[in-house]
Amino acid sequence: MSAKYTEQQLDALRELANIGSGTAGTALSSILGRPVDISVPSVGAMEVEDAVEAVGDPSQEVRATLVPIKGDLQGSALLIYPPDDAATLCGMLGVEPDGEDGQSALAEIGNILCASYLMALGQMLGMEIEPSPPETAWDLLGAIVATVLLGQGESEGALLLDSDLVVEGESCGLSFLLLPAGRGIAELLERLGL
Amino acid sequence: MADTIVRMGEWAVSANPDDSLLTIGLGSCIGLVLVDRVKQVAGLAHVMLPQARPGQAADLPLEARGKFGDLAVDALLEAVLGAGARRLGLEVAIVGGAHMFNFGAAQLDVGARNEAAVRDGLAAARLSVKAAATGGNKGRTVRVHVGEGRVVVRAAQGADEVLMKGVG
Repeated sequence: MSAKYTEQQLDALRELANIGSGTAGTALSSILGRPVDISVPSVGAMEVEDAVEAVGDPSQEVRATLVPIKGDLQGSALLIYPPDDAATLCGMLGVEPDGEDGQSALAEIGNILCASYLMALGQMLGMEIEPSPPETAWDLLGAIVATVLLGQGESEGALLLDSDLVVEGESCGLSFLLLPAGRGIAELLERLGL
Repeated sequence: MADTIVRMGEWAVSANPDDSLLTIGLGSCIGLVLVDRVKQVAGLAHVMLPQARPGQAADLPLEARGKFGDLAVDALLEAVLGAGARRLGLEVAIVGGAHMFNFGAAQLDVGARNEAAVRDGLAAARLSVKAAATGGNKGRTVRVHVGEGRVVVRAAQGADEVLMKGVG
């Protein structure tokens, strides 16, 4: 990618991701009735090829909820459930992970968490951020991340804002990715005054 | 036996019958396979995008040409011929080009455009596609066994399926 980000810009983006995932974590906590921990988000600008591997083992089959973003910010929010964690989460909700109820529960949680994350960003930045209807996939992690990045037109480089939400006392963690598209990155930084 | 993993935008060629060429998690990307079973030479390219930007192609080294559908066929063809394959002995398989997400609106379908670009490239090189596992909404993994010339594809949640039978 030709544009390089300064440390200050990356810090500001990390803080954005922190606030977004904090809000999403609160939403998850109130769904489950359990405390949820938020990791310090990692933020990186990289080639699409490297972004795919930075997210995790590309051969892993995961559940994912994608919320494409329209409005002032273009891009995607992507919530990834590693397989065991999806099963644990469904167990907490009392639904079968492989059944229809489990799938729709995961999709709905994904939708709520993405919407809360995006709403927090929108309020903080004073931007109109419109979440599109969610889409779900149960697929190879590499295929999901590559297809989202390439599908939103990232041929040159990707900006990755990656946060983990961990349900306290359970081995259950979710990865939350915000993937702003080309113009979205500039727009974000401009709103932050950087 | 060595597995060579072909990452996004890369290609690899092998003339070692014990090798496998492997690409994991093709979504909208295309895995382009060229095999000469008799000479035991195979190549695999992991195509990300349909076309290079105007003017970009000239600066791209051969190694980076697998990234684009409009350049990948010629680059991989040159490489497998260089490794001892015969043009008339080549068999072609293509894998991937899935449409996994709608992106909330009518978005350009990168998977279908990738497939079309690769097929155009193959037609221009007068190579016909022997086997294809493309489209749909599932990601795929492809493995090419160089010695047998066998191509095995597995879709997400699926089992291994032989896309192109090898010798024996």
